[in-house]
Amino acid sequence: MHKIALALAGITALAAAGAASAQDKPTVALIPGLTTDAFYITMHKGAQAAADELGIELIYQGGPEFNPTVQVPVLQAVTARQPDVILIAPTDKQQLIAPLRQAHDAGVQIITVDTFIDDGKYQDGEGEGDFPLSYVASDNVQGGRMAGEALAKAVGGEGKVYVSNVKPGISTTDQREEGFKEAMQAFPGIEVLETQFNDDDANKAAAQLQAVFARNPDLVGVFGANLFSAIGAADGVKALGKSGEIRVVAFDTPTRIVDDIKSGLIDMAIAQHPYDIGYEGVKAAAAVIDGQQIEPSIGTGFTVMDASNIDQPEVRERIYSE
Amino acid sequence: MAAAARVADDEGGQHPALAFLIRAWPWLFLIGLCVFFESWSRASYGVTFLGNTFNLQSIALFAAFPLLLGLGQTFVIIAGGIDLSVGFVMGLAAVVMARVMQYTTPVDPALALALGILAAIAIAMVPGWINGTLISRLRVPPFIGTLGMFGVARGAGFLIAGGTTVPVNNPWLFAMGNERLFGVPIPVAITLLVVVAMHWTLAQSKFGQYTYAIGGNRIAAVRSGINVRRHTLLLYMISAGCAGIAGMIYTARFSAGAAQAGEPILLDSIAAVVIGGASLFGGSGTILGTLIGALIIAVIQFGLVFINVEPFWQFVAVGIVIIVSVLIDQSKGRLTGERKDAE
Repeated sequence: MHKIALALAGITALAAAGAASAQDKPTVALIPGLTTDAFYITMHKGAQAAADELGIELIYQGGPEFNPTVQVPVLQAVTARQPDVILIAPTDKQQLIAPLRQAHDAGVQIITVDTFIDDGKYQDGEGEGDFPLSYVASDNVQGGRMAGEALAKAVGGEGKVYVSNVKPGISTTDQREEGFKEAMQAFPGIEVLETQFNDDDANKAAAQLQAVFARNPDLVGVFGANLFSAIGAADGVKALGKSGEIRVVAFDTPTRIVDDIKSGLIDMAIAQHPYDIGYEGVKAAAAVIDGQQIEPSIGTGFTVMDASNIDQPEVRERIYSE
Repeated sequence: MAAAARVADDEGGQHPALAFLIRAWPWLFLIGLCVFFESWSRASYGVTFLGNTFNLQSIALFAAFPLLLGLGQTFVIIAGGIDLSVGFVMGLAAVVMARVMQYTTPVDPALALALGILAAIAIAMVPGWINGTLISRLRVPPFIGTLGMFGVARGAGFLIAGGTTVPVNNPWLFAMGNERLFGVPIPVAITLLVVVAMHWTLAQSKFGQYTYAIGGNRIAAVRSGINVRRHTLLLYMISAGCAGIAGMIYTARFSAGAAQAGEPILLDSIAAVVIGGASLFGGSGTILGTLIGALIIAVIQFGLVFINVEPFWQFVAVGIVIIVSVLIDQSKGRLTGERKDAE
């Protein structure tokens, strides 16, 4: 009995010492899509930097898998702490609507980052998921356009290309494909073939590249709309012995992309700016706490990486760090 | 009751105080956790952890899914088996329910909900029956048979869902997943009903006693005239049925079915059963134990987020609790003089 009492006293004292200072600051919570992904880890760093500058207490909590079953309990536990604003990357555009509405009804303002709920157009009076104040993310159509322009330049504006994509229905990758095709309309010498869907399986993406090449020996380029699509397509190119002849553009830049670009496996990569998403997200949250109006959509930029600039420090810092 | 209780807590009693501690440890541990989180949140943030309906509702909602999967799993584990397929059976049920409701909601929303519930339970029975038949009649080891079904149910779920989530827009469904009855969220109320039914079945009925008998000594159970094959088949159907109910609640809470709904819950559900005192060798375990086990996991995970512990420490914490539970389970026999019969 004594021991238990002692232990409790100890814990209480420790707790009191630990965080007594964190009382009066405004609180913002950031809930990533998953915690074990370099993209979100980088986003956390940006959010922390903004929180430090603005004198905001930042709570960072998330689940290990990109799955609503895992994310929703975390969301509820965070809501229970009554932060002023929750920044969240929803793991499903439909399934997170009801849980986020509960948080909103509990008096917490919602801003979504990277991914969105419903149609992603908030505060326009339409749809079930209209209540978040803003959507802070890369403009994926713009990113796809940049990928298209970079690829067109690399292949000299002529030949056949295609998009290696995950599956239909994912908002971000659909938008990248849309932007890519839009950019290609300016190059009449380029023919865009049917999109190939690989279910986020690099092995399948590699096999598809070889199949497309078998039918179209004049294939000159491929756009991998996410990491595995690009890596798979690049592997397919390597297996054909066509490295440097069939150009590969990747989307997203975790650390391994540096090696892939240096070894020539991938020719170019479009980096999103997750650090900026976190930073801008917290800045928007601070504006909300101050009672200001914020834009319902806040876009962040991109960096195009290739062998010529990969060693420059300002490009390197755009790689998603672990 | 008497027989079941005797088998479940077969402590010899040389050390009465110790025996009590071992038997009651999940309860004591849960209370200890609550005290810990309560004092931590009061001291650090000046807020209460448990004295707030929102937190209690959230913890109960969190516990509901692993608990539902764990209830059926308790039966299977007591009988000496294991069911690895429940996570994806839950997803399959969720997806089928959502699909059925997509087609029927335009006709009549209330009828659509009824049909959806029926469909969820009915579809879950199919993998349950196949599991049971494989294991009881064809002598497939439970670990392998249900691992195979894990893949089949997963694939079937994704096929029916077309690889994505299946949204349903139905006010009745939304109400079932998000409304409250006397302050209790409806999903929690449904889960409690299932807990009561399962507790009665295991502790009070002949069916429950046979389950302990089969897990304690299969050959003796056969000799004493229990229809072990039929019983084993029913156990896996109960397990799948619980997964079907979990899938149904999932679809209601999120207004959508998803094939991967139960994927992260499988291990939590087995952990809940084990923390609750069931032995993976069969022969012991209780529904109340599983309830406490699920609550312990939910309180730890909710509490660690609430007091803002770095996410990766949460894996470590839950892992340690599981290991400690099994260690206590192991030492039970040594401390109380009980012996575990090898098969």
